[in-house]
This record gives sequence, structure tokens and C-alpha cells, in this order.
Amino acid sequence: MMLGVLLAVPLIGAVLLWRAVGRVATALHTLTAGLTLTAALAVSVRVNQGPPLVALDGFLRADALSGWMIALIGIVAALAASEAPRYLAQTTGGRFYPLFHLFVFTMLVAVSTDDVGLMWVAIEGTTLASVFLVNFERTRASLEASYKYLLLCSIGIAIAFLGTVLVYFAGIQQFGDEAHALRWTTLQRLAPGLAPRVMELAFVFLVVGYGTKAGLAPMHTWLPDAHSEAPAPVSALMSGVLLSVGVYAIVRFKPAVDVAAGPRFAQNILLALGLLSVAVAAAFLWISANYKRMLAYSSVEHIGLVCIGLGVGGVLGTAGALLHIANHALAKSIAFLVSGRIRAAYGSTEIAAVGGLMRGLPRSGALFLAAILALVGLPPFGLFVSEVMILAACFRQGFPLVASAALVLLVIAFAGLLRGGHAILYGTPPREPAMEAHGWRAALPGAVALLLLLVTGLAWPPGLGDALNRIVAIVVP
Amino acid sequence: MTTGSNLLAFLGLVVTLLIVWRQSWPARLRLFVAQSLLLAALASTIGVLAQRRGLLLVAAVFVVVKGWVIPRVLARIGSGAPVRPVAPGRSSGITLLGAGALVVAAYVIMLPVTAAAELPTERAIPLAFAMALIGLLLCVTGRDALGHILGFLVFENGIFGLAILATYGLPGIVEAGVFLDVLVIVLIMEAVVVQVRREHDSIDVDHLRELRG
Repeated sequence: MMLGVLLAVPLIGAVLLWRAVGRVATALHTLTAGLTLTAALAVSVRVNQGPPLVALDGFLRADALSGWMIALIGIVAALAASEAPRYLAQTTGGRFYPLFHLFVFTMLVAVSTDDVGLMWVAIEGTTLASVFLVNFERTRASLEASYKYLLLCSIGIAIAFLGTVLVYFAGIQQFGDEAHALRWTTLQRLAPGLAPRVMELAFVFLVVGYGTKAGLAPMHTWLPDAHSEAPAPVSALMSGVLLSVGVYAIVRFKPAVDVAAGPRFAQNILLALGLLSVAVAAAFLWISANYKRMLAYSSVEHIGLVCIGLGVGGVLGTAGALLHIANHALAKSIAFLVSGRIRAAYGSTEIAAVGGLMRGLPRSGALFLAAILALVGLPPFGLFVSEVMILAACFRQGFPLVASAALVLLVIAFAGLLRGGHAILYGTPPREPAMEAHGWRAALPGAVALLLLLVTGLAWPPGLGDALNRIVAIVVP
Repeated sequence: MTTGSNLLAFLGLVVTLLIVWRQSWPARLRLFVAQSLLLAALASTIGVLAQRRGLLLVAAVFVVVKGWVIPRVLARIGSGAPVRPVAPGRSSGITLLGAGALVVAAYVIMLPVTAAAELPTERAIPLAFAMALIGLLLCVTGRDALGHILGFLVFENGIFGLAILATYGLPGIVEAGVFLDVLVIVLIMEAVVVQVRREHDSIDVDHLRELRG
């Protein structure tokens, strides 16, 4: 019932918004985002207090891992939604609101189903719902970005489908339990008997496929384009949670593969791709001349780190990876939302064209500075804690070389991002910016996200550790 | 069943290789329709012989979506494209050679699957996978949007064939989702291509080169 409400709210909102215009649309949009957030938080609290929520004969199912993702999607969607009216005030109409909520809906479906087939359909749906949002401004650059995004992600998701077919094949070959052979809970239960070589092959396809959605190098090439050309609220959603939904899909399959084929196989693949992603991002962070692209490459870096955490596994690595997903989602959505305001004030996303933000736009500048400091992993923000957890897990599980390589790459990325951030924040502004947004409503989303980052960085509330423990119990077989 | 599925999958692969070989767009489109019809025939053959009623329905939907609706959309997209003269010094020889290598690769990669399978259709599985790989090759080497879409669809067809041969069809909701996805992707592609053509006066993706770094 609760799951049904959670999924119905954004869907109904999207349908109603299809025809709504003007103030009615803004009000309906705010209402939908608020209700989605409420339902998401209610579901995630509920699954952390009792057994998993199940609906439609087990077709929809939310456990602690789903609850974590649902809460994140709800929070980031609310942050992005609060910025959307300000963005739309500067552009001419178009169907922004309905597609926005449809996008949120597809992500929520992807993380709250037990059926890996439906999960696949929903993740493909995220691409279809967001492609017009990427091309919302209909410029040459956004057109190119949306073309690459649609093509590469469609191919990626088709490869993931191939992996899903092979998993299904392994399931029915062994057991003939065809009615529920695509259920994740069934796979988990039957995993010891699944053909190990087939599961390995399937996992390769799944990682390449869903890794494309997650933005793992070398399949990340669509990401900087799409994230930099999309409107700021959409960039925040894509970078903050869409990438994590791709990671989530990999996390769902990993336990079954670990049991069927031994933990080494998935571990090696995830560590290699994770390190490669951090390396690629570290290099590109140094040469980005566009601040939205810079933020996009920073996402590749953090998703790479998450992958390393999942790869080394164990309690610490897995919990660190999950926490890092949440921290990154909060910090990156703030950074992207502020980047939208910077662009509105200066009319450009080139680093060279903005400069002197701290003087020109003091409020946005301060928020951007905080987001950058959080993203490079400095205390007191949460990313520091989760990065330390991941690196400590590398040492504890016997991967000192991986940890050292990651550390070196992180320092390079750190310097690259700080360099870009410095160029944007200080120096002389090349021209007078337009008025920046002010008032408590403009400041609220950033303040909330920063507060949450301080909470995960300094003082964990009692429920947080429990939630992570519940997730680890699901992911680590 | 073994003979039937092997024959149909083999014919499907031959048609796929012909798509690689032919350069003219209408011919490639006709070959794509032929490939789709062969796969629908494969699905219905297995549906009858293995007594899966659901597969007959899947085959029927497949004929409508991949054999009729999508080719119509593709023809509509292609009708505005200028006839591209085959560039001198560029033939399909190298690509064909690559496709041949992919057939061998498909057999090697699918070894674990054929080893684990105890099905009358197992020998055709690598053929379907080869179709998928060749589709991917077409997609990578395609120089315009039409080439990309066609490659993607051939890839999708190959995966469909593999799913039918290895699992006798997926649960209905997944199949329905796949059809819907492919249809929507092609329609969105059409919208994007129309805009690309308006912006650049061509659907050659060499024009899409602004975003770098």
C-alpha cells in the first residue's frame, strides 16, 4: 500500500502536470515534489523498522537497500524541484514539470521492485524520460548531448538486458522455477546452484550495461555532455541519483554472482573499473574549461570510488560505498543547483567567463565553495567519512595497492577540482553579473543539504548506523 | 526443433551479414525487415514445438512492431536523407571481415552458455549472439544517425533471438517492456534526427562534434 502510494504520487503528478500551465503548474509541481518526499521518507523509515514492504504479490518490494535509495531519490528530487521554478522563469515553456516527475517515477520504480526484469524496464525508462529534459533548451550542444545520451545509454541498457537474459537462463536451466526466476529474492536463494561460468558472463554484461548508466569509465563518455547541457535541476537529479540507480542495479546482482562464482570475480571487475574511473576523472578534472563539465567529471570520480568500496566489499567497504552514494548525491546536487544560478547570472558555463564569484555573487559563491570543499572530501563534511571508510576497507581486506593508487588519484582529482573552484570563486569577475537569487527560499535547499552532510560527517543519528548494517546484511552474502 | 531453429538462426545471420555488405539504405531496410520476420518465425516455431502459447503472441507482436511499425518510421526518417554516394576507397570489405571475426568470437564467448544448456536449440545460441555483436559493430561504424539506429535495432534483434533460443521467452511483462522501449527509442530518435537535420542540414553525425574535453 505504502509502496503503491509512493509510486502513484509522481506518476499522477506527471499526468496532471501535462496540461497545467502557469501558477497552477508551479503549485502542482511543488505539491507533487513535497508528497513524493513525504512518501519516500515514510517508506524508508518503515522498511528500517520492520520486514520489507511487499506489494502486488511480491512484484514490488522494498527492503533496507531500496529504502536507502528511495529516501535519496526523494530528497534529491525535492532539492532539484525547489530550484525548477527559478530555472523555468528564465526560459520559455515546454513540458518540464511532467517529464521531471516521470523521471523521478521511473527511478523510484527501479529501486522498489523485486523483479530484475521490471528493474531493467524502469532503468531504460529513466533514459527515455530524461532525454527530452537534457535537450530542453534545444541548442546545438544540447541536441548533440541528448543524441549521445540516448544512443549510448540505449546500447548500454540493451547489453544489460543480455546479462539479465543470461541470469534468467541460468535460473531456469537449474531449477525450472520460471514463474519467479527473475525475482531477485529467488536468485539470492538459489544462487549456490547457478552455473558459475554463465553467471560470470552475465555479470560482465550487467556491469558494462548498467555501468554505462552509472557513468563508469570507459563507458562514461555520454555523461559530461548530458550533465553539462541539461538544465541545472535535471543535472542535479542525474548526477545525484540517476548514476546511483545504475550502481544499485549492479549491487542487486552482485550477491548472487558472489555466491555462484566466488567473490573474486566481481571484485576484480569492480576494482578495475573503479580505479579506471577515478583515473579518467582525475585527468579530465584538470583540463575542463567548463564548470558543469568539471562537476560531471567529479561524479565519475565519486562513482569510481563507490565501485572500489563495493569491490573490496566486507562490512566497512559496502557501508562506506552506500554512505558515499548518499553524501555524493547531497553535495553534487547542491553544486549543480548553484551552477544553474551562476549560469543564470553570467550567461555562460565557461570557467573563464565567471571568475570572482565570492564578490560578484556572495551567496551563491559561499554555497559553491562549501559544495566544492565537500566534494574534494574535506572534513567536516560526510564525504570525508565515507572516503576514509572505503580506503580503510581496502587496507583491511588486503588491497593496500588499490588503496594507495586510489589515494594518489584522489589527490590529483582534489587538486584539479580545487584549481577549477579557485578560478571560479576568486579573481576578477570579467563582467558584472545579473542579480542573484536571495531570500530564505533560495537559501533553504542548500542549507538543508549542507546540514545533512554535516550530520553524516560529524554526528550520525542513531538510525543511520542501523540502516547501513541492514543494507550490508543484504548485500554481503 | 533442432533443425528448424538452427536453420532459421543461420538464415538470420546470413541476412545480418548482407546488411553489413549492402550500402544502399532501402536495401538495408528491406534486409532488416527480413531479419525481423525470420526471428518471428523462429519464435513461433519454438512456440509450437515447445508448446509455449505465449511465444506465438510474442511473435505476432514482434512482426507488427519490428516488421511493420519500426520499418515505416525508419523509412520516414530515411526519406529526407540525400542519397549518399559510396565514398571512393571505402567498401564494406573490412567491416564484413570484422563481422566474420565476430561470428567466431560469438562462439567462443557463448561457450559457457552452450555448455550449461540442455536444450534442443542450444546450437543456435551463438548464431543469435553473433547477430547481436554484428549489430553493435554496425552501430559503432555507422556514420550517420540512420546507421546508428539500424545497428542498434539489429543488436536488439540478436538479443531477442538469443533470449528465445536460450530461455524460450521471458516473462510477459518484460517482453512487453522491451517492445515498448524499442518503439519509444525509435520514435525519440526520429524526433532527434528531425532536429539534427534542421540544425545541420544533414544527418551525418560528423556534425555533432562540439562537445569536447
